[in-house]
Parts: sequence; structure tokens; C-alpha cells
Amino acid sequence: MTAQESAPLVTLTDAARHFGPVRALDGVSLSVFPGDCIGLVGHNGAGKSTLVNLVNGGLPPSSGEVRFDLGETALDAGVRSVFQELSLCPNLTVAENLRISHMELKGFGWRRTARAEIAETLDMVFPDHGITSDAEVDTLSIAQRQMVEIAIGFAPRGQSARLVILDEPTSSLDAGIADQLLQHIKRFCLGGGSVIFISHMLGEIFDVANRIIVLKDGKIVAEKPTADFTRQGLVDAMGHVATETAEAERTGTFGAEVVRTDQGLAARQGEVVGLSGLAGHGQAAALAKLYLSQSSSWRAGRSPQVAFVAGDRQSDGILPLWSILRNMTVSILPKDARFGLVDRQAEQKVAEDWKTRIGIRTDDITNPLLSLSGGNQQKVLFARALASPAPIVIMDDPMRGVDVGTKQDVYAMIRTEAAAGRTFLWYSTETEEVCQCDRVFVFRNGEISAELTGAEITEEKILEASFEMQEAS
Amino acid sequence: MTFLARHRIVLPVVSLAVLLAATFYMQPRAMSYFGLNLLFNLAVPIALATIAQMMIIMVNDIDLSLGAFVSLTACVTATFLQDAPLIGALIMLSLILSYAALGALIHAFDLPAIVVTLGMSFVWGGLALFILPSPGGSSPEWLRALMTVKPPFAPMAVVAAIIIALVTHLLIMRSGIGTVLRGVGGNARSVGRAGWSLIRLKALAYGLAGLFGVLAGMTLVGLTTAADANIAMRYTLLSIAGVILGGGEFIGGKVSPTGAVIGALTLTLAASFLSFMRLSSDWQIGAQGAILILVLTARLIFRQGGRT
Amino acid sequence: MNISRMLLGAAGIAMTAGLAHADAHSGDTSEMRIALSNNYAGNSWRQAMLQTWKESTAQAVADGVVAAADAYTTSENQATEQAAQIQNMILQGYDAIVLNAASPTALNGAVKEACDAGVIVVSFDGIVTEPCAYRIAVDFAQMGREQVEYLATRLADGGNLLEIRGLAGVFVDDEISKGIHEGVDNNDQFEIVGSVHGDWAQDVAQKAVAGILPSLPEVVGVVTQGGDGYGTAQAFEAAGRDTPLIVLGNRQDELQWWAEQRDANGYETLSLSIAPGVASLAFWVAQQVLAGEEVPQDLTVPFLKITQADLDEALASTPEGSVANVSYFLEDAQQVIADAE
Repeated sequence: MTAQESAPLVTLTDAARHFGPVRALDGVSLSVFPGDCIGLVGHNGAGKSTLVNLVNGGLPPSSGEVRFDLGETALDAGVRSVFQELSLCPNLTVAENLRISHMELKGFGWRRTARAEIAETLDMVFPDHGITSDAEVDTLSIAQRQMVEIAIGFAPRGQSARLVILDEPTSSLDAGIADQLLQHIKRFCLGGGSVIFISHMLGEIFDVANRIIVLKDGKIVAEKPTADFTRQGLVDAMGHVATETAEAERTGTFGAEVVRTDQGLAARQGEVVGLSGLAGHGQAAALAKLYLSQSSSWRAGRSPQVAFVAGDRQSDGILPLWSILRNMTVSILPKDARFGLVDRQAEQKVAEDWKTRIGIRTDDITNPLLSLSGGNQQKVLFARALASPAPIVIMDDPMRGVDVGTKQDVYAMIRTEAAAGRTFLWYSTETEEVCQCDRVFVFRNGEISAELTGAEITEEKILEASFEMQEAS
Repeated sequence: MTFLARHRIVLPVVSLAVLLAATFYMQPRAMSYFGLNLLFNLAVPIALATIAQMMIIMVNDIDLSLGAFVSLTACVTATFLQDAPLIGALIMLSLILSYAALGALIHAFDLPAIVVTLGMSFVWGGLALFILPSPGGSSPEWLRALMTVKPPFAPMAVVAAIIIALVTHLLIMRSGIGTVLRGVGGNARSVGRAGWSLIRLKALAYGLAGLFGVLAGMTLVGLTTAADANIAMRYTLLSIAGVILGGGEFIGGKVSPTGAVIGALTLTLAASFLSFMRLSSDWQIGAQGAILILVLTARLIFRQGGRT
Repeated sequence: MNISRMLLGAAGIAMTAGLAHADAHSGDTSEMRIALSNNYAGNSWRQAMLQTWKESTAQAVADGVVAAADAYTTSENQATEQAAQIQNMILQGYDAIVLNAASPTALNGAVKEACDAGVIVVSFDGIVTEPCAYRIAVDFAQMGREQVEYLATRLADGGNLLEIRGLAGVFVDDEISKGIHEGVDNNDQFEIVGSVHGDWAQDVAQKAVAGILPSLPEVVGVVTQGGDGYGTAQAFEAAGRDTPLIVLGNRQDELQWWAEQRDANGYETLSLSIAPGVASLAFWVAQQVLAGEEVPQDLTVPFLKITQADLDEALASTPEGSVANVSYFLEDAQQVIADAE
């Protein structure tokens, strides 16, 4: 497990990367040895993605040096990346996506080779994955796509993978599949491969990494063997005073029932209702259905009944060309409009208000939205929903790729708003989040398998309700 | 999982079959070797132009200059290729290369293809007028012979359509490079990250479009025996409609060469069908549009049905 | 009918009278069907053409001369579309196709297909170059020459001319202009001092002429292509200049203006153009071919000329917004065929 005597695969010497005046990465030195499994942590905007892009050759360093032991480029050196945002070609099949990354696949019958290679890798990393290599990627669920992407990262592709960088690989995976991945990473590193593992799930980091690097404001602030870190110590190093058991007090008094679906999903006024279960078991569909039934496509009026926070922010949430301000206020324009014209001052006021309340890290809210980091973009989406007068807020896994600090802020905000009488329906892949809810519906195969309230809401109970059926079958 | 993939080709096939059945009912004479050729021979250049357009749509761009380009290649075919085959071939080659260069340019400077190609349509149109100021020229003998060949069993138009569909299917859907090209439409960034040169891929896609544009112009002259600087102007919109009718989509690299060929046949047939119905010309464009909307609506309904 | 006689001239009348008693159709064509393939219907000339076709052929069908005579117009003025239309007509089993073509060459493939299938193709106005087809061509250059010849008879001293051209890049425009320039070369007392494109439309012509007038010296005559005379006159009037001698193109508004000017100040000019009724001439030519008559491949359409004497009659028979027209009959077709031989 320990770093071997051999030469490092990749060496960064005082590497820095600037985007204009922003120092995304400010002089980092790092060596990755064969057999290394490095856990990379840091809150959003700490420079993790930039570091990854330097290592995989996606970006040249502004200063300093990135050197590989084999060949000139990251590709020659066998460095692979699995990105946080899904980067497959959705119009191609699983096997064809492998072809994109595997230039040597040529000639007649490349398809058969590709199919065999991806199927073999999928079998190796995720036994019982149930993915056909001829399936088009856009027919797969997000979790399945993530699995394919990871498998392509580990696939031989002519020259075996030597360093695989995994950026939030488990964010869309449920616990069982995430565990399969962690097991594979361990096997891979034992076999002499290297991994850089980025995750917000500290448990996973502690599980697989032999070394943990903490990034803060573009610098490495701590680098120690995993055994030398404690959970609390790691969180402190990242610079957050995150209380691990942010068990908010549950008031227990709710108003009238405001939501009830045929499926049995129900919510009362002022309640925070969680939806849980394994990823892709119908939670998102249930929420989408609820939202569409409560809102009208024709009368998007001044007083909407429901607001929606999308988890897949690239496709369902952000308006990438618009400013932060516009992104925030798009839900409330009719409310403040006068004779159909936007009241710019009111719009500005609301946006400034929410910027401070939710802590969006920007100097100027008229900046383009894409100038924000992923977590802050997600905050904008929260602000958009919360700024609307809708009494019901539906959230579809809104914390995907959001750092611990932001999460705490948002939890607090949800609590305050709930106390003020708003109802939240909240789907999350992270059990920890669901445990904060007043009531939890566990989904399995598109149906509600358990309804938990109060003290019943525990990780064990939720897991039990999620898995029962699978054990039986 | 392959449900949708199979789906995409089913609808164009069904539309063509229904329209063909209706045409045969209205005009039984069409149901013959000779009849099918008359019905479809002008669809051959349209099918090639549709394939050319598909290459561009495949990489998320759109080509508004295709009609003018095919007119130009038709003019070159009817003049240079006939009088001085070597120079003609060189001109064609340089036209293909300039299309490739255009693709590289559009990518390198991140230009909107719709604007660049709109501009280029005037360039191609101007060149066509320059080469052939008044209608005329003549088709090279071998081209005329090729387009009027009478193969056994099935007429030229049908054989040509099948060959075009087969070749482009192999090229785009089956070959490795075709897969990567579709990948550019699906997620260019990920293709770039995998180490491919996007600028070369774009140039390749445009170059292929140029190649098929040249073939469209040549076959057109083979059929008409002469050219005219405006001969193929309607191919721009026809080709776009053909791609979409054939199950392609404007973005996301979702294209189907077989579908595109079928789409081109369907559009040609739709016009003939309306003509057989004795529909007044005032209504024909509208009716053609209505057929298009009908098919697209059917596709949307099928797709949504397939999803839930 | 009167106009028809008039334009064929005295010699024509004599011949027609002789032929009128001849057997109308030597071969029986009563079972045969003729189609009109037309590329464009978007102006008054084409509308009048289609109207004349409808009237003439309805009579012919009622008389049992042919079984059917259907008109088809392509929805877009495009050669490839018309080629498909011709191929459809072959499929529909027409015995003859009367064709006003979008392009003189781009339809040749389809026309050849038709000929090979035994279908007679008669092209007129927009003719095709495919040798197997019959052509009833307009000698557009002659039309240009005649204008200058007429001016020469009226303006013996010569002077400056303004030329109004048609739609740039169109064959007809080139031909008429060529004829005009030939005419001017033969009559060197004239000089063309300006040339604008009026696109055969009054409003375009008016704007174009108004634009060029300030830069022109005194103009004594205007040579036109039809459809542009009235606009030209308006432009001269608006500029406060003397109205020169404008050769007109048989449009109703032109004839109307001419009549007004004549009544006011004795204005005298000539108007000439191709009558839209040439479609009916083509119909009868096709019928003659079907009937087994010997017909040369190349025929020439007579011009419809309106002189000071015919003005009132022509104006009365031309509906507003249209163009002076005449229907041709079997005898006219036989006359044209005879002239060509």
C-alpha cells in the first residue's frame, strides 16, 4: 500500500494556474507514485478541479512544471480522468464511447473488441451492473452513466491505466455501487495502479486513500498519510467549523396537509419531507410528476404553488448565458412586474438580499453565472426557488457536488424557511441529509417502501427499506 | 435499451411506405421498374445533398450554403468536368478542401456556422454565375450513362439510394472515425479531452459534406444533362428537412444516414403525391409543410410514448 | 379574334382564310391528354396565360378535340422541381406536355425521359434546348430591334435614349437588351445614355428611373421590356421633365396611361409584347403534332403589337392589372407552322 521505491508517475513542481487575476492554483508540488491512492479534499473553489486539469494535461500550468515519467503527455503516461460533470457522448452507445477514448481501436471488428473490453471492465468494477454495451448512453440513468464513465477510465484502452483521477465519482451512485467502486480502487492500487480520489464523502476518503491532501485557496494546506488524520481534523484542515451532527431540533408541529399523491407521498405545511432509497428508484420521477401536476404550463403566474430546485443543474437548472442576478430572479419576475415590465430595482434588491442570505461568493451579481464554482451555482438555484413565494419547494438531489460548508448553510436556511411555514420535499442520495428531515419516504422500484417519522429516521432503517427487496429476490 | 435506436429508423420507413402505398393507389403506373425510376431518380442528388447536410448537422452545425454549393458543383460538372476533366477534378478537389477549411475556421474562431454558411452561399452562388453565366453546359458522357443505367431487378434510383445508404451507414455508424465524428456532436469536450484534435474532426466532417455536395452536383447534371447557376437552390432547405425527417436531430450528433436517404426519398415522393392529387400549386407548399409537421409530430408522440 | 388577325398581318389573314376550311385534325386526338407544365404563376402575365389556357382548352375538350388538358404549376420556381413534375406527367400517362420551362437546359434530362417514353413535348416562352422537344420561341432580340426601328421612324433627328432592363441575369433580359443595342448600332442617330433595371415591375422601374434621371441629359426616347413603361412615365412626370417617347409593353396600366395622354395631348407611341395567350398556341401545336402533322421543331411566336389605331379596342378588352391578350386558335397554329416551313 505504501508508496513504492520506484519513480513517480507524475511530478508537479511548484505548479500554478491563474485565470486572469484569480489564482485558482497557487504553487503546488506533488508526486504521484505507483500504488498511491491519494484522497484530495477541499471545499468548492479550493482548486481541486484545476489541480486535476494540470495533472491530466487539460490545462498547461501558468508557471511551474508538470512532468510525466512516460512520454510527453498525460495520455502517453497512462493518466485517465473521470470528471465530475458527466462527459460521455450521450448519442453514442457504451461501446462507442470507449472508442472515443481508445484511438487504437481500428479496422474491421473494432466494435466487437470495444464491446468486449467495456463489458469486461464493467464486470470487473461493478459486478451485476446490468448495462449492455450496445445501449445508447442517453437511455441510461445518471448512475449508470457514471458507472460507464468510471469503467472507461479503468479500461485497458491499448495501454493499461496507470493513474486514474476520479472527481466526485460517487456523487450519483447509491451506497452499494459506490462500495463496489471503492473495492475496485483498493484492488487497483494494490496491483500497482495509482488513483487520485476526490470526494465530499469523507468516509469514502478514509476508506480508500493511503494519503490525504487538503487544498485550500489554491494551496496544499495538509498532506499526511490517512492514518494521521481524524475526521474532525480533516474538516478543520479544510477550514470549516462543520459540526458533524447538525441534528436540528424538530419542532414536530405542522400545519395542514398540503401534498398528497396517489403514490402515497404526503407533506404538511412547514414540514421537511425526505425522499430516499437507492439512486434511480423513482424518487426523481415522483418529484417531477408532483411538480408538473401542481404547476401549469400556461399560467406561470404571480403566485406559483411550487418551486423546483434541480440537481442536474447543467441540464435542468442554470441559464448559462445569463448573469447571476438574472438566474436568481427569473422565478419571481412576474411577481414584481409592473404592467408586464420588469421592476429592475426590486429585482436587484431581491438578488442582493439573497446573495448575502445564502452566501454566494461573488463581488458582483451581474457577473455571468459561469464565473461561479459549481457549489455557488447551486446556491443560486436555491436562491431562485426560495425567493419565489411558492409555499412548496421541491428539491431533486440539490446537494450534488456541493461542499460541506455550503451544505450546512443550506440546511440552516431550509430549517428557517420551514419554521416560517414552507414545505420542502427533498430527494437526496446522501443518507446523512435525509436524516435531517421530519419525515422520510423510502423508494424502491418506483414505489414507496417505507414511511419513517421522527426517531425512526435512521441510516439503518433507510438502508433496510431500500435493500429489502433485493435481498429477497 | 435499443428500443429508441430502432425506433428512430422505424418512423421514416413507415412514412415512406405509407406515402408510397398512397402514390401507387393514386397512380398505379408508378408501380413498375420505369415508374419507380421516374418517381425517384431526381431524389438521388437530393439524397446525396441530404447526406452532406447530415455531416454538418452531425457536428451540431447547420449549412445554409448547400443549395448554392451543389449548384456550383453542378456548373463545374457541366463545364470544366466535361471540357477539361483534369481541371474539373482539381476544381472539385479544391472545393472539397475549401469546405474542410471552412469547418476548421468555424471551429478555430468559434464562429456561428449558420452565419458563415449563409455568407458562403453568396460566394458559391457568385462563383456558379461566373462559371456559367447563362444556363447551359453539358453532362459528361460517362455521367449521363451512369445516371441512365438500367440495372437488372431494380431501377437506378432505387439501387443508388440503397448504395448511398449502405456506404454512409458504414462510414458514419459503423466505422471508428464515424463514431468519433458523431461523438463531436454528442459531447465535443469529451472527445477533445480524449486526445482528438477537434479542429481536424470538424474539418473532416465539413470535408465529407463537401464531398457529398460534389457528388450531388455531379449526379444532378447526369440527370438533367445541363446546369444552371440556380439549379439546386432548394436543396438547402430540402436537405435540412430530409435529415430531420429521417430521424436526425439538430443537436447532439443524433443522425441516421439511412434515415436521411429515406427522408430525401419521402420529400421527393411527397411532392409527386401532391401533384398526382391535382392539388393547386398555391396549396402545395403548405401541404408539403403539413406532411413534414405530421411526420415530426408522430415522431415526438412515439418518442414520448417510448419514454414513459 | 380581331386582335389575332390584326397581328398576323394582311398576308396572314389571307392564308388563314384559306386554311380555315381545311380538316381541323387529320388524325384523331379525341382520346389524348395534354398537360401544361408551368414553372411560375406569380405575375399578371402568367395569370393571364393560365386563364387563356383554361378557356381555350376547356373549349377544345368540350368540342372533343382532346380528352383532357390539365395545367400544373410548380410551387417554387425551380428547375429541379419542374423536372420532377415532368417525370410525374410521364407517369400519369399524358400524351403531350406543353412546357413553360424554368431553365432552358436544366430540364433537358426530364424532357429526354419524356421523349423516350413517347410523350410529345412542346416548349414555349421559357423554351428548352433538348433537340427532341418542340420550341415556340420568342425572338426577344427582334423585340428590342423593333423598338429602336419604331423610334427611328418617329424621331428622325435621333437623340438620347434611356434603356429600362428587366431582371438581371435572366436570359430574356439579355436578349431584349442585345436587340436594343443592335438596333442602336444600326441607327447611329441614337445613343443610350442610361440603363437601369426595372425588373419588369412598375414600382421598381419608377424608383430606378427616378434615381438616374437627375444625372441624365435630355432624353427623347425610352426603350423598355414591358411592365416598366408606366413607372417610367411616372418618374419623368415626378421629376418635372418632358415625357419622352416611351415604348410600352401592353400592360393595362400602360395602355390606360397612353390613352389618357393621347386624349390630353395627342401622345403617340407603340406597345408590343408577347401575348400570354401563346400558351393556347402551344396547345394547338401540340395537338397538331399528336394528330400526326409534320411540325418543325422550331417555331416563332408572333408579337402582339398595339398601335395608336388599336389602342381603344385593346384597352377595352384588357382587364385591370392584366396585360393585353389574345387567344390563339387552331388556324393560328397552322399558320405559325406553315410560316416556319
